Amino acid sequence: MSRECGLLLPRVCAALAGPRPPAAADTCLQKLLDWLGELSEAEPGLKLLQDNPCLAELLAAVLALPEPGAGLLSFALRLAGLLAASESAFQHLQQEQLLARLFGEAGPRAGAAWADAAVRGAWLDGARSMALHEPALRLLCAHGALDVIFTLQGDPSLFVASAARRLLVHTLSFSLEYEMPKAPGTRVCYWPPCAQVIVKHIEDSLQSSSVSHVKQSLKLLAGLFGSCHAPWTEVLWSGIAKQVQSFLTEESVQAPHLLADLLLNMSRSPVFCEPESSFWPLVTSALEHLTPVQAGPLAVGILRLHKCPQDVRIQAVTVLLQPMDCILRAASQPLEYSGLLDESVTDPATVESLLSSKSSCASLLCQTLGHLEELLSLSHLPVDLPGTSLLRSVMTILRFCNGLLIPTSPLGSKISQTLIGCFRVQRSALDVLAVLSEQKGCDVPVESLFDILLSYLESPNTNPMVLKKSFQATSKWLVCLPEMSCFSSQWQIKKILQDVFLVLQKRLCSPCWEVRDSSLEFLTVLINGLRDHDEFRQTLLSSEVPRLTEDLLGDPESYVRASAVTAAGHLILVTYVAPESPVTGNQYNKENTVAKLQEILSRDPEGFPRRAVINIFIKWLRKGYTSLLQDTEQFVSEVIQTAERDLDWEVRLGGLELVEVFFVQTFCRCGRPKCPYAPFSPEFTSSVCHNESLQVFCRAKLFGFLFRSLCDCDRPVGQKACDILLAIRSSFYPSNSLKDSQDPEEVGHGIAWLQRTLRQGSLAQTFPAGSSHEVDFQDPESMLLALGTIDLEELHDDLNKSSDHVEKSPQSLLQDILAAVGAAEDNEADCY
Amino acid sequence: MPEIKVTPLGAGQDVGRSCILVSIAGKNVMLDCGMHMGYNDDRRFPDFSYITQNGRLTDFLDCVIISHFHLDHCGALPYFSEMVGYDGPIYMTHPTKAICPILLEDYRKITVDKKGETNFFTSQMIKDCMKKVVAVHLHQTVQVDEELEIKAYYAGHVLGAAMFQIKVGCESVVYTGDYNMTPDRHLGAAWIDKCRPDLLISESTYATTIRDSKRCRERDFLKKVHETVERGGKVLIPVFALGRAQELCILLETFWERMNLKAPIYFSTGLTEKANHYYKLFITWTNQKIRKTFVQRNMFEFKHIKAFDRAYADNPGPMVVFATPGMLHAGQSLQIFRKWAGNEKNMVIMPGYCVQGTVGHKILSGQRKLEMEGRQILEVKMQVEYMSFSAHADAKGIMQLIRQAEPRNVLLVHGEAKKMEFLKQKIEQEFHVSCYMPANGETTTIFTNPSIPVDISLGLLKRETAIGLLPDAKKPKLMHGTLIMKDNSFRLVSPEQALKELGLAEHQLRFTCRVHIQDPRKEHETGLRVYNHLKAILKDYSVQHLPDGSITVESILIQATAHSEDQGTKVLLVSWTYQDEELGSYLTSLLKKGLPQSTA
Repeated sequence: MSRECGLLLPRVCAALAGPRPPAAADTCLQKLLDWLGELSEAEPGLKLLQDNPCLAELLAAVLALPEPGAGLLSFALRLAGLLAASESAFQHLQQEQLLARLFGEAGPRAGAAWADAAVRGAWLDGARSMALHEPALRLLCAHGALDVIFTLQGDPSLFVASAARRLLVHTLSFSLEYEMPKAPGTRVCYWPPCAQVIVKHIEDSLQSSSVSHVKQSLKLLAGLFGSCHAPWTEVLWSGIAKQVQSFLTEESVQAPHLLADLLLNMSRSPVFCEPESSFWPLVTSALEHLTPVQAGPLAVGILRLHKCPQDVRIQAVTVLLQPMDCILRAASQPLEYSGLLDESVTDPATVESLLSSKSSCASLLCQTLGHLEELLSLSHLPVDLPGTSLLRSVMTILRFCNGLLIPTSPLGSKISQTLIGCFRVQRSALDVLAVLSEQKGCDVPVESLFDILLSYLESPNTNPMVLKKSFQATSKWLVCLPEMSCFSSQWQIKKILQDVFLVLQKRLCSPCWEVRDSSLEFLTVLINGLRDHDEFRQTLLSSEVPRLTEDLLGDPESYVRASAVTAAGHLILVTYVAPESPVTGNQYNKENTVAKLQEILSRDPEGFPRRAVINIFIKWLRKGYTSLLQDTEQFVSEVIQTAERDLDWEVRLGGLELVEVFFVQTFCRCGRPKCPYAPFSPEFTSSVCHNESLQVFCRAKLFGFLFRSLCDCDRPVGQKACDILLAIRSSFYPSNSLKDSQDPEEVGHGIAWLQRTLRQGSLAQTFPAGSSHEVDFQDPESMLLALGTIDLEELHDDLNKSSDHVEKSPQSLLQDILAAVGAAEDNEADCY
Repeated sequence: MPEIKVTPLGAGQDVGRSCILVSIAGKNVMLDCGMHMGYNDDRRFPDFSYITQNGRLTDFLDCVIISHFHLDHCGALPYFSEMVGYDGPIYMTHPTKAICPILLEDYRKITVDKKGETNFFTSQMIKDCMKKVVAVHLHQTVQVDEELEIKAYYAGHVLGAAMFQIKVGCESVVYTGDYNMTPDRHLGAAWIDKCRPDLLISESTYATTIRDSKRCRERDFLKKVHETVERGGKVLIPVFALGRAQELCILLETFWERMNLKAPIYFSTGLTEKANHYYKLFITWTNQKIRKTFVQRNMFEFKHIKAFDRAYADNPGPMVVFATPGMLHAGQSLQIFRKWAGNEKNMVIMPGYCVQGTVGHKILSGQRKLEMEGRQILEVKMQVEYMSFSAHADAKGIMQLIRQAEPRNVLLVHGEAKKMEFLKQKIEQEFHVSCYMPANGETTTIFTNPSIPVDISLGLLKRETAIGLLPDAKKPKLMHGTLIMKDNSFRLVSPEQALKELGLAEHQLRFTCRVHIQDPRKEHETGLRVYNHLKAILKDYSVQHLPDGSITVESILIQATAHSEDQGTKVLLVSWTYQDEELGSYLTSLLKKGLPQSTA
């Protein structure tokens, strides 16, 4: 703790419990706790208390108040808890019985403030922070705390109830692991008394006729098995397994979600994961007895496990595939398609009834599709899902949703009536369709797949969000199209691409900005993925899409302009790859586009398009498409001069990134390693290249930009500039040669001035205007000298601090609390 | 009994950040998704993990509704939709959808700029989030799905602010968001029709305040600015780009015009144009005066207010500058403040609330020596003024809205507990409705008594009137018929019509009962004894002894048979139709008591 804070803290403590407590902002006390918590972690709690007796005095003062406010009382409870986290500090506070008074029967628990959920929450938090050693646990048990915590599990406040559960979990595991560190007995009666009380409570609650008590226990157990994987959990489980099992066999299962949650948490525990464990039949039973909606999350969780018996896994797959199987059966003629699952082992009646009901059909499908998307997105899925059948099923759902399929079967007809125009299901199905594109070995009915996607892309009824997802799915399938062995016909690819570009042309002219924007994003993704594909390039360049994209550079909506900039920047790459493009007359005009982008950078009133331009320029330079630009040096110089004037700091930051890439490439041309941070080779200084590079940087006016950026009013710009300068310096100066660098005062007026200006300017975040005559940023020798002389490390450290680190400091916080003593209430009451 | 559940995750007995979960008739809706600007860690966002413990958010929530563009109502939205993973629909009004991303982007830039923070939503996330938004018009009924519908009402407060009615079947909730019941210079007063919701969730920022006239505050503001400019000083007004800034701009513009003042007024950053563009675009959302004068002169085309350039701050002479951000915590407003703070001729006017950890908060709490970077001390000699221009309904306004909407229950949010308590009592006293004020994390359950409309068939109605019971609108009346539920509607029809419509044949339902009595006589003699016994008791009923030995009383049939195993016992088989249920039960109980000796 700093000296200043040490002086301020007693005043703050006195003020908090004083007659006119500060009307501090609601966050002040919380931040004060954060800081004191950090201090108590950093140094022994006892020392903190001894060095700052005001803390214990504050606790005593709060206890002495006849009716402390809920805010202050909550603060005191939390503070006491975090101070008492160490045993010595606990004993120190207990000398005056402070903790017993705060957490005991006669403390806040008995007062009117207990009605406030914030106080109850703080009491639990305090107890939790403190319960890290045996005396604290004894104190809590001795003062009836366990009964209070049991009751608080059913608190009307979700926050309090959840904190109570967490505290019980902690108390049980701590008492077992602390008091019986070797091995807690194999029977609960050998366990410490505190643990026995908790276990008894769990057992009683599970057998209670009150549903809420049963639910509380199930939640507590789920939390316990989720966070604690010690062997003793098996002992606990053996005592309650029968009771939990009985819940599953009841006619209507109580708290099905909680049961599923409990079993899932247990399945992740190494204690229960052995295939022979008696726990697995229970999971199978749950997967069978719970409805598909209730069992879904459990099934997904099980399928993510790497260690799990095969029959349980099969049951979990069945839960997820049943709705998809029903969809296929509902859509097909009898005997036409066998479905995903063997009907002899599964009973589809429940799923069929859910799908035929209007209220449950969409929910079940959305949930199932969501789970499948989650599983299919995993890089290592421990189970094989039938990709081709799933694809067919998802395609069927999408056909139902847009009215392309109205089957004659009673179930199919009901499902199609429910799903037609249902955006929720469309969105989920398109998400799954997109991830299925990454599945290897799918026997894909490509034509019908694209028929469906195109119908969504074309339909005027498609909702903008659904359209965006249709674009995403289409781009994913298109990108992997050329690699598909089953689909190698060039003309078919060309036909699909032509259809897609026709739709894209229409969508680029949509009156809805979301649609125009998603269309442009789609185009960019396609170019990135298919740029090297001849058919793609030809179809793209012979369509109207390039012209429309260029038109959208002037769109009234800035988001669209920005996406148009990105798309246009990528379009140039298509022509760059294929300059000899066979299509004439409609060839994309490179020079014109570059000029337009530069125009946008200097004139667009909004930041997004300008940022997009600078990002495209960086991409071009990084990828080495320099032949797009006639003179790279001149180009970079012009761009950074525009960027430097920009009001948007992210554009200025982009300018610096461009400079960084330019540096790397200039050095590369001289045979330097690509990474600017790579160790310096002494031979380099003597090379001709050394001088050449320096001259290039000076001619392009990069140093002026970099040095001025150190004083930028936005911190990230200064940081970046400093990083780049340090990298350049390491390229010109070997690290050992800097030791002998000269004193700035000895190297001439200009550099000394620059050093002073930077030191002040980086703090004040401004570089003096009109002072360019003081130092010549285009003089290679001066710049080399400046690099070697100016203390960039010191600047780097300053710039790395957040710009509001002073206002956010503990000292500032303490001053703010003190300043709020007796502040006018008007200010406190206001909001936005 | 049907119920509505409300759980605030934010705005429950506080004004930090609004986020309220409502469950109504099986639908789950999240009202607002605000951010707390006083924190710079995860605590700035509501704890969304409490929304559902099981399953995905998108499956659980049917929609999210945003009342207006202030960050304490929409600041967590990109985090919620792009980082937490909610992928469902989001509703807000057209102006809110247009302005929301500007403020979110502005805040993102400041946050990332200040701290170099990386775990924050990006520009792309803001855009992707806005693409999920469905914009709604005022008074347009929007069907979220087949059952859930929402409707927006004008709320004043800021451009595009709306109150939302959420309706499922005949149950409804109105959420006010922030609202203002008195018109100001550019916005009108909030309005709602007499929609009689089951629950009105109202903000209560000024629950105990009757605010002084806005005119007085405006006069005071203009006087202070004028005096400073007259003595050659500079006035800094830190604002957020949209909202109060426009109100103050109109105020100053009109005053400058009237007084023919020459000192320049500037608005910093490139946001002015865009802000004013939106105010022009959404002119229908402003107040009547602005709309009327729009043809002659657009109030948002300012003559005296010009765009600010960084270099102007050093110009000599008086000037007024509106600069962002509004809490002096970064960027241009803070830079200008640093330059001007040392001169006592200058003035800074804070028109809104500032959170702890900002320079704005420090100077408002009276601190005059501020530590700057590098241990430098900035002495604040300039005048510091605080003038709240936040546009919330005061206690009178809240009562007025309740009177207007006539809710069955009221729930207060977005206010301080003590003040809410006072208002709660006042509401319960005056309107005789229950008023709730849950804290964050507390669930309030309101039981509703939905009235379900039922159509009555003309035939049934005619039959009732034919028997002389004329309908009287004021008196409840009992009617008998068959209730048919078909195509989501209820109809009461005569049983005959019901059978016809449903294509069913009529079935006679008879209740039967066996009564054992001790009687060694022959069966027909027992029958006769029963007949005589009943004839004697039931004088007003038609009791008949049929030739086959059975007895009838109205529709009730009694037959005596011998017990198969015990000849001394006779079994009386009693059966009756549902119309004679009462008499049937009575007879059964009578026979169970046995037959009197005398009848022998």
